[in-house]
Formats: sequence, C-alpha cells, structure tokens
Amino acid sequence: MKHQLTLLAGAIALLLAASCKKDAEDPAPPGTPGPAPIDLAVPWYFPIMDVPADNPTTREGIALGRRLYYDTLLSASGPMAGRSCSSCHSQALSFSVPGSPPGFLQVLPHVNLAWSSNFLWKGEVQGTLEDIMRFEVEDFFSADMNILQNDPHYPQLFSQAFGSATITQDAVDKALAQWFRSMISSNSHLDQYLRNEIALTPSEQNGMMLYLTETGDCFHCHGLPLTTDHDFHNIGLDSTFSGADQGRFLVTGQTSDLGAFKTPSLRNIALTAPYMHDGRFATLEEVVEHYNSGVKHSASLDPIMTKPGKETGLNLSPQQMADLVAFLHTFTDPVFLTDTALASPF
Amino acid sequence: MRNRFLPTLATCIFLFFGTSCRQDEPVPPASPSSPAPAMLRVAYVVDGQPLAFDTLMYTNEGGTVYSVTHLEHYLSELVLIGSGGTPNDTLHGPWYVNAANAVDLDLGTLRAGQYSGATMLLGLPPALNVTGALPNTLANINMAWPDPMGGGYHFIKFEGHFMAAEVPTGFAMHVGKNEFLPVCTMLGSFTTTGNGGTLKLTFNLNEVFRTPHIYDLNSGNYSMGSMALMGQLRDNCANAFTLEYLP
Repeated sequence: MKHQLTLLAGAIALLLAASCKKDAEDPAPPGTPGPAPIDLAVPWYFPIMDVPADNPTTREGIALGRRLYYDTLLSASGPMAGRSCSSCHSQALSFSVPGSPPGFLQVLPHVNLAWSSNFLWKGEVQGTLEDIMRFEVEDFFSADMNILQNDPHYPQLFSQAFGSATITQDAVDKALAQWFRSMISSNSHLDQYLRNEIALTPSEQNGMMLYLTETGDCFHCHGLPLTTDHDFHNIGLDSTFSGADQGRFLVTGQTSDLGAFKTPSLRNIALTAPYMHDGRFATLEEVVEHYNSGVKHSASLDPIMTKPGKETGLNLSPQQMADLVAFLHTFTDPVFLTDTALASPF
Repeated sequence: MRNRFLPTLATCIFLFFGTSCRQDEPVPPASPSSPAPAMLRVAYVVDGQPLAFDTLMYTNEGGTVYSVTHLEHYLSELVLIGSGGTPNDTLHGPWYVNAANAVDLDLGTLRAGQYSGATMLLGLPPALNVTGALPNTLANINMAWPDPMGGGYHFIKFEGHFMAAEVPTGFAMHVGKNEFLPVCTMLGSFTTTGNGGTLKLTFNLNEVFRTPHIYDLNSGNYSMGSMALMGQLRDNCANAFTLEYLP
C-alpha cells in the first residue's frame, strides 16, 4: 500500500509538472541569458511611445542597432558602399549633415523618430520604425545579409539580441528600430524650462509667446514638446511646383498635396542648417523672414497659412523676429549631441 | 482505508486537473442575458453626400464653394434622453475622432430602453479641458490649446479651402475654450435592444455654416483667437449632428 501511494504521488507530481507547460515560458538554457528589456527614459510631458509587441526594446537590441548604424558593412554590397547611416547623420549635428548628395533632398535629422509614422520629406514610407528601417536597409543600402553573417562579430550579437545567430533582414530592421527609439532628445533648455528647472531669458520668453500664440502661430505644426505634428504642409515656399518641389504630391498624386512636405522636428534646429527640403535658407533668420513676409500663395497653400491680414506673412517686428529665433535656440540639446551612449561604438 | 482512500484521491486528482488549467479552455459563449458591446460610429456628410476630402465640390449656405482637407475633433458626454420610463443614460467618453480615418469606437454595454433623443458635447467637458488632463497620446498632444492662450485642447479642427473671388483660399475653423463648447442636440426617438448595436452619429458639415448663423468664409476664414467667430461656430455646431441606433 505504501509503495502504491508513493508511485501515485510521483505520477501526480509528474503530471502536474507537465500538464500546464504551455502556460509558462521555457526557461533559457543556463549561461545564455535573454536580452535585457529597457525602459527608455521618456519625460512625462512627451507622448506615450508605442513599441511593437514583436520588437520590445532591449539593451542588446539597442547596442546591435547602434553598431549597425555606424558600420559601413551595411552598405558594402550596394550603391552606397563605404557609407553608413552615420555618414550623413552626424551626432554633433543632431544626426544630420549640412547639404545633401546630388539628387537628394536635405538630410532630415534622426531625432525623436520613435513618435513618427511618416518618414522622409514626402512621406514615401509610412508605418513604424521597423517599416522605415526595412526601406533603408533593403532599398537604400541594399544590404547583404551574407556579409553580416560572415562577419566575426555580428552572429553573436544577433544571437544575444534576438536569440538566433542567423541574421535576417527582419532582425536587422528590428535592431535599427530599437536603436532609433533610444535616440531621444529631451534635455534642451526648452525641456529644462518645461520641467521647471530653469527660466528662459526675456527674449526667449517673448519668442515662446509668439511661438505659442496666433501672433507667430508656430504651434499648429510645430507643437511642443516634439515640435512636429508629423503631418505634411505646403508652407508657401513657391507658388508653382515642378520636380522635387512638388513634394507629397509625388507620392499621393493629389493636387492638394502640391508643395507639401513633412513637418520637420525643430529639435536642435540651430544646428541643422540649411533649412527646408531644398536647403534654400541658410539661417534661422531667413526662415523666420519667410514666414514673416515671404509666403507665396497657391491653391494648395496650407489653410493655417492664410490668416486674414497675414496672407503673405506674420508682419512681425525685427525685435519679435529676433525673439523668435532666440526661442528656437532653446531647442538645442547638448546632452543629445554629446551623449557617449549615442556615439560610435567603433 | 485502502478501499476508501484511493477513490477519494482519484477524485481529488480529477477535480484538480478539471480546474487547474482553466485559462486554456475555450471561453463559453455568452449567455443570452449578457449584453453585447455597443459601438459608436461617426459618419461625415455634406447635405447627404458622403464627405470626400481635398476636392472643391461643396457649396455652403452662404453660396461659397469649399473643400475639406482636415477634420478632427472630440466628442464627450453623450446623454441618451430616456422616455416611457427609461432613465437617461450618459456615456462619458471622451472620444477623439479623425474624420480621415474614423473607426467604430467601443461604447461598452448599452442597456435596453426607449429614448427621445440625445445631447452631446462636440469637445470636452471643462474638467477635461485642462492641459495634461488627457493621456499624452500623439493625437491629444496635437490637439493641445497652448497654455498662453488658455490651455486645454482644441474641441474641433475643421480646415479646407474655399473659392474667394475665384481664388482658392484656406480656412481653418478651430474651436476651443469652455465658453465656446458646442452642446449638440439630436432629436428623434429610438429604441435600444440591450444587445449591442451601433449608435451612429452623422455630422453634416454644411450645418456648420447654416443655423443659426449663415457663416461667411469670406469674412471669417480663421476662427482661432476670434471670440465672435468661435461663438458662431459653437452655435452652428450645436445643430450639426443627427443620431440613429443600428441594432
């Protein structure tokens, strides 16, 4: 009887151990810890960050994405051979670069893109960071997975980040997307002001009032804290459109999109000259002057740009324009520009 | 002992396995008395025509041809007015809607009853019209009404182009601030079944220009910052919705 009970108890224990296995994660083999989840430091006044369930942000994923971002190996087999993402996206310039290669629009900075779903000036790619990375890796760089697979370092790094040493396009996209999510600018003077850590100068304060009221009316498209609505607008740079200046129209075919481009983030704007999609303005003063007196009418001019009495501009005084520029300078984030965690790992 | 212990143990084991993995089992179908979730749908029309964006094809009450390029707004405090013994039923929201990609919104359960109409806020109640009162979604942040202008949120952004002396010109009808909150009234009786269904709101954009003020875009194409224009829009938007129940 005692033996029978022992056998029965053992059977029950085995059954219990096996019966609910699908409810639990299989433990990782000893010695191979999984990637470590990271909660990115996002200020309370920033938007909620949506992270795809199938690509959680991890320490290993970000580290891998960072390496890929700075590595020319990504382009080794394609028309951009010898270049990495960082070739046109310098940290010191808010991950941008002055000027642009022939045939390309101005380089948009890589800053706070975690909250964007429209990418590139004309919105050629829409979706998640994984989607734009797919475009960059596959179409822009024509990356060859075999080259990465044969590298002495990458298989192990991919294994650490995604649990498999087999390098796939999907895994590369995901690693880069994780890295981009970590590229958060949130320590500018403006941020410090929003956190009640510092005061603005009188000129900056005046500029902020212009920015956030109808007098300057910057906020409708460049609202705080991200300083972009991620949408597309024709801001009156031209009255007729041809070539690349047709903007979003080239993607949608809608005449209402003629001359419309994505609202760029103004974070670190003082460092990302020249301005506009074609770099037509060399300084922030020229940009403000455009809004002040240079708006050109067209049928697709954004409705926000057509206030009564301000059809061609804001009519600001020289002092108001100077104040507005002073406020734009508060968007510069020295921490973001020098953070070693965002610098090249090589 | 032997004859009684083993059957008892076997029963315990059976009972244990009969309950231990319940989360793996299929959920039984809802009983007939369980209320199904109801949905809220917002449709956009211009005097009966479904809204099409970006085309100068509509004519408002003032005779002005216009198009719609952008339309987003909040809805909240939907009060179904009971009749025949049915008490009022208040659905608080708020709901953010972008007309360019409006989707059905979950209302939760909607009880059975007879109703004579409804009222609703096109915007947010004062308690929520405070900077930071809503979750920091991208939509809410883009609807912010800047603090230097009073804070809170835009209730509605309605933008497009219109023909002004044969020249396409923009208009931006933005309304915010508590004193300009449109309180919409929707007449017409309906009966809900208590088993789901859809409350369908229809927003007739031409009503924004019609009653009680014939709104002339040529003399007011930009409302934000204009108390007079936001007041007209508040009054006109109060008549812009109809409501029906789809079982």
